[in-house]
Amino acid sequence: MKNQQSDVSSRSQPDVKAKEDGPVTSSAPLLSVEHVKISYRLKNTLVQAVDDATFTVMPEEKVMLIGPSGCGKSTILKAVAGFIEPVSGRISFAGSTNITPGPDRAVVFQEFDQLFPWRTVLDNVVYPLRVTGRSKPEAMAQATTFIEMVGLGPARTRFPHQLSGGMKQRVAIARALALGPPMLLMDEPFGSLDAITRTRLQGDLNRLAERAKVALLFVTHSIDEALLLGHRVVVLQGAPSTVAAVVDVRDINGPDDPHYRSIRRSLEDLLGAPGEEEPDGGN
Amino acid sequence: MAVTSQELRPGADLGGTLTARQSWSRLPAWLRRVIILAVAVAVWELYVKAAHVSHLVFASPYAVARSFVSGWLDGQIAGATGVTLEALAIGMAIGIGSAIVFTVLATWTTVGQDALMMFTSMLNPLPSIAILPLAIIWFGLNEKALVFVVANAVVWPIAINVTTGFRTVNTTLLMVGKNLGLRGWRLVRDVLLPAALPYIISGVKVAWAFAWRTIIASELVFGTAGGSGGLGYFINKSQYFLNIPDVFAGLVTIAVIGIIVEVGFNMLERRTVIRWGMQATS
Ligand SMILES: Nc1ncnc2c1ncn2[C@@H]1O[C@H](COP(=O)(O)OP(=O)(O)OP(=O)(O)O)[C@@H](O)[C@H]1O
Ligand SMILES: [Mg+2]
Repeated sequence: MKNQQSDVSSRSQPDVKAKEDGPVTSSAPLLSVEHVKISYRLKNTLVQAVDDATFTVMPEEKVMLIGPSGCGKSTILKAVAGFIEPVSGRISFAGSTNITPGPDRAVVFQEFDQLFPWRTVLDNVVYPLRVTGRSKPEAMAQATTFIEMVGLGPARTRFPHQLSGGMKQRVAIARALALGPPMLLMDEPFGSLDAITRTRLQGDLNRLAERAKVALLFVTHSIDEALLLGHRVVVLQGAPSTVAAVVDVRDINGPDDPHYRSIRRSLEDLLGAPGEEEPDGGN
Repeated sequence: MAVTSQELRPGADLGGTLTARQSWSRLPAWLRRVIILAVAVAVWELYVKAAHVSHLVFASPYAVARSFVSGWLDGQIAGATGVTLEALAIGMAIGIGSAIVFTVLATWTTVGQDALMMFTSMLNPLPSIAILPLAIIWFGLNEKALVFVVANAVVWPIAINVTTGFRTVNTTLLMVGKNLGLRGWRLVRDVLLPAALPYIISGVKVAWAFAWRTIIASELVFGTAGGSGGLGYFINKSQYFLNIPDVFAGLVTIAVIGIIVEVGFNMLERRTVIRWGMQATS
């Protein structure tokens, strides 16, 4: 496990990444999404957002959801989080098909306005920990650690309206990570960050996911990010979307990997358009 | 006119080059107000002195101040203020209580919302003082009628504002709350109420303004006959005995209470919605 995280920070290092690194050993998926179809009701019409989505996430597995804008990635995430009920199909999490919102699937939303405006940065992270039963000193310590991790230590007494968009997202990331849930649902959490901060947080997330044994369902636009963070990539296509492919990228170790280019090319082809070159790809 | 940065450049002789306008806008706001007030009072005093206005029509600031102080010291104004504020508090409490019931119904049921919308659009534009004649018939010339019109003045602005506040709570924040496992009362207390606070405060502000004007007006309508003993009664009685300084002292009391409450609301807003950047307007 250790060499995987060092891959992220120093990719030049030739390394041996063993197959048993991945969480393939566990047989029962933590999350399974089967033929899920989701519609929104807009006045009298139904807007179909997702036509047929099927994929699984094993315990401790990091699954990336990738697809063009408006194809229903956020919608799928919200269904898994329990905010939207599918029209048909089945979602089961930890053996239960009764999907209601809960902190065992901590969410980082795509929207900037997901922090409580009346709480400081610190309180925004402490409060969820208190609500989910941590003692005050424990919650404070945990919150401080994660706020430091996302680089917001100096801003911890500020209110959300005094933060930039990217800083707000980092607070939301710290809040979700601090909860230490069995599964994290993250909706383009690094979308609004500069390349350097993004690379650092991607590394932090990778390290943390290893340490905390958390499963990850992660929405992104970026093929490079998907390759960097993911064990598997679920490629969505069309609107309403269907799953075009599920690609195993466990063995890809950064852009220096000989397979990187070819996998990247095939993902681009699946997405139907040349993927944007990520500035942090080459580092 | 604003002072431009050029005029403020280091080394400029500010003391020598300031115009009167610039030095005035440089004073702190409270000091500017105190100066204007002092000048107004001085002009008033001089006018009364110089024009030999009859004592039965107009009072000098000095006489008003004397009446004000003695009225508070001998308990007359204090007693009247107490009576008025008590009826106001009961009326507002009943109004707020009913508003909460309406809000709950309107937030959780569509019928409740429709009913609230209808009643508000019918009754909110109606000055509450207009139903005083009816209230007097129903309750008599007594405090109950006052409480009723005050409650009516309070209930609609609060119900409509809080309902709007609840219905417009940011859906992402609601999802965050639910994601933490919050349900029922906990979700209301920790997410809905604080998220709706700007609306709640502005509802209470409007309600207070309506209630305060309504109760003073109602007491004045009662005249000396009602004998409620409130501030309106105090002014009526003083007018009846042609004690003009007392009439003014009553008016000053009403204005001062209005100012104090306004300042209280401003402080509350600065500590909450403004501090949190939640202010909808301005
Ligand atoms: N609340 C809603 N009501 C109606 N339609 C919606 C709603 N939310 C999303 N949609 C529609 O559902 C479709 C999928 O939206 P979704 O937000 O899941 O896309 P996405 O893949 O997350 O896009 P992006 O990458 O831009 O965030 C879109 O066509 C969108 O217009
Ligand atoms: Mg989205």
